[in-house]
Amino acid sequence: MRMETINMDANIETSKQVETPKITARNVDVFYDDMQALHDVSVDIPDRMVTAFIGPSGCGKSTFLRCINRMNDTIPICRVSGDIILDGEDIYDPRIDPVQLRARVGMVFQKPNPFPKSIFDNVAYGPSIHGLARDKTELEEIVEKALRRAAIWDEVKDRLKTPGTGLSGGQQQRLCIARAIATRPEVLLMDEPCSALDPIATAQIEELIQDLSSRFSVVIVTHSMQQAARVSQRTAFFHLGHLVEFGNTDDIFTRPTDSRTEAYITGRIG
Amino acid sequence: METQPTTIELVQASLTRRRRKERFLKGFGLGAICFAFMMLAILIISLVASGHSAFVQTHVTFEVFVDPEEIREKRLPRGGFDDALTASLGRHLTGLDLSDRATKKQVEKILSNGAQFHLRDLVVADPSLIGQTIELTVPVSDPYDQLHKGGIDPETPEEHRRLNDQQIQMFHQLVDAGIVSKPLNWGLIANADSRFPELAGLKGALIGSAWALLVCFLISFPLGIGAAIYLEEFAPKNRFSNLIEVNINNLAAVPSVVFGLLALSVFIGWFGLPRSAPLVGGMTLALMTMPTIIIATRAALKSVPPSIREAALGLGASPQQTVFGHVLPLAMPGILTGTIIGLAQALGETAPLLLIGMNAFITSAPDGPLASATALPTQIFIWADSPERGFASRTSAAILVLLGFLITMNAIAIFLRNKFERKW
Repeated sequence: MRMETINMDANIETSKQVETPKITARNVDVFYDDMQALHDVSVDIPDRMVTAFIGPSGCGKSTFLRCINRMNDTIPICRVSGDIILDGEDIYDPRIDPVQLRARVGMVFQKPNPFPKSIFDNVAYGPSIHGLARDKTELEEIVEKALRRAAIWDEVKDRLKTPGTGLSGGQQQRLCIARAIATRPEVLLMDEPCSALDPIATAQIEELIQDLSSRFSVVIVTHSMQQAARVSQRTAFFHLGHLVEFGNTDDIFTRPTDSRTEAYITGRIG
Repeated sequence: METQPTTIELVQASLTRRRRKERFLKGFGLGAICFAFMMLAILIISLVASGHSAFVQTHVTFEVFVDPEEIREKRLPRGGFDDALTASLGRHLTGLDLSDRATKKQVEKILSNGAQFHLRDLVVADPSLIGQTIELTVPVSDPYDQLHKGGIDPETPEEHRRLNDQQIQMFHQLVDAGIVSKPLNWGLIANADSRFPELAGLKGALIGSAWALLVCFLISFPLGIGAAIYLEEFAPKNRFSNLIEVNINNLAAVPSVVFGLLALSVFIGWFGLPRSAPLVGGMTLALMTMPTIIIATRAALKSVPPSIREAALGLGASPQQTVFGHVLPLAMPGILTGTIIGLAQALGETAPLLLIGMNAFITSAPDGPLASATALPTQIFIWADSPERGFASRTSAAILVLLGFLITMNAIAIFLRNKFERKW
C-alpha cells in the first residue's frame, strides 16, 4: 500500500501540469463476498467538470460511483481495497467519518426518492442536520438558493409546505438534486438520474448538470451514450469490472483507442 | 390422415378444466368465510342470549322509615338497618305477620344483602336522616331478579324451584304495587366483585386489566421497538443474530402458561413482588407481548423502502438520524398496529394471570398497580365457576364487555393504520 502511495504521488505530479484532479482513484478493487465487481480501477476525476461513466449493465460503474461517498459501507458483504483520494485525503482512512464525507460528496439516485415530507423540509434536512444555518431565515435562504439552482424554484415556491412526493417524476428528481446541493457538497454523484424520466424532464436535468459543473465536480453514471456525449467533458468506459478507457469525451466518442470501447459506442456490445 | 388440433382448440379444451379449478377454489374460500362467520354469529348470539339479562337489574323502590328505635346515632355505624328495611318493605305486603321471625326473614331475603349496607352508608354520611322517611332504590336478591326476568318458571313443581309459592306471591304483590323496576345495570361496571350476583360488577377487573395493560405497554413497547431496531438496522447478519431471530419467533409461540410459571418463580419468588398485583400481571403479559411487537416492528421496518435510507445516508445523516428521522416514522403505523394487536392478545390472556393469583376474590377495586386485583378474563373465569344462577348471565355479559374492548382496540389499530399510512 505504501509503495502504491508513492507511485500515486508521482502520478499526481505528472497530471498536475494539466489540472489538479478532485478525486484520484488508484488500484480500486471491489468485492461482493467472493465475487469481484471491480478490477484495479485507477482514474482521475477533474474538478468543475462533468465526468460520465458509461458501460453495459453490470459493468461496475454504479459500484465505483458508490465507492466515492462510501455508500457501499451500507452493504455488509461489500469490500473495497485500493485508494480513493479526495483533495489529498484517503476517504477510506479509518479516521475519516463517512457521515462527514457524505456531506462533502452529495449523491442523486436513479429513482427520485424525496422524503415523505414537505418540499421545504426535504431541502432543509441536510443543512439542518449539519448545522449549516444559524437561524430560520438563513435556512430559508439556503433552501431557496438550492431550489433556484436546481431550476425548480418557480414551480414550487408557492407550495413549499406540500409533500415532495406529490410532485411529478422530473420535479421530484430536481428536488432531490436541490436537496443534495443544499449541503454545499464539493462533488455531486449522480447514478443514472434520468433513467426514470421523460425526454423533456431529462433535457431540464441535463441543462442543470451543465450549470452545476461550474461549481462542483459532477460524476454521472448513464446508460445513454448520447447523454454522456451531451453533458460530459470526461468519459470513462467500464466493461466487466474493468476501466477500459478514460479520456476526453470527444476523444472517446470519435477516436476510441480500445476495440471494446469502439464496439460499445457503435452498438456491437452492451 | 388425422389433422393436428389447432392451438385454439387445445386452449379451449384446457380452459374448461382451468375454469373448474378456479370455481372450486373460489367456492372453497367463500365456504370457509361463511363457516367462520357462522361460528362467530353463533358465539355472539349465544352470549347475547344468555348475557343480555345481566345488563338490567331488578330494583325495588320504596319509602324507608329510618326508625330511631332501631338506629341510634350513638351506635353508628352499627344498628338494625335490615330491620328498618324489612319493616318498611313489609308495609307493601298484605297478610303477613312481621312479628314472626321466619316471615320477617322471608321479607328480608327479597332485598339484596347489599341493601342494608347501602342504607347504612347513607345514614352514616348524614345522621340527620334518622327519624325521617327516605325513598330508596335497592337491588332485589338474585332469585327474585331471576323470577322477574323470567328465569324461574312458576309451573315447575315447588320443590324444584328456588322460590316457593309464598315467596312468588309476595313478589307479585310488590310488582302490583308498581315499585319494582328493571333499570340498566350500571352496577355491572361500577361495582367491584361480590359474593352476591346482584351486586357483583366488573369495576375491579376493569381497573386491574387497565393497570396490567398499562404496565405491559410501558415495558413491552420501548423494549420491543428497541430490540427490533437493533436487530433490523444495526445488528450484523451472522449466525448469532439468526439464532436470536429464531428464538424470538419461538418465544411468540410459547404457551402462555409457561410465562405464568416463569413470573411466579421470578417476579413473585425472587423479586418478592406481591401476588395478585396488576404490576406482576403486566410484567408477565409484557413478556408475551414483546415477541409480537418485535416481529411486527421488524416487518414494518423492513417494508420501508431502502431508497429512503439511501437518501438520508447520502445526505450525510448518521445511521441513528436515518432510523429515528425517517425510517421509524414511516414504520410507525405498522408498529402501532402490531402493538395494539399484541395488547389485545394480552387483554384476553388468562392462564398466566391465574398462576400469579389474579383470580383471587377481591371485593374492592385496586387503588394502584400493587394492590390485589383481578383482570377481565380471570373475572370471567371466577364467575363461570360460581354456582349462583345470576353469575351465569353475568359471565356472558362480562365476555361481551371483554369482546367489546377487544373490538374497540382492533378498531383503533385499523384507524391508526389508515390515518398514519403515507405514500412514498
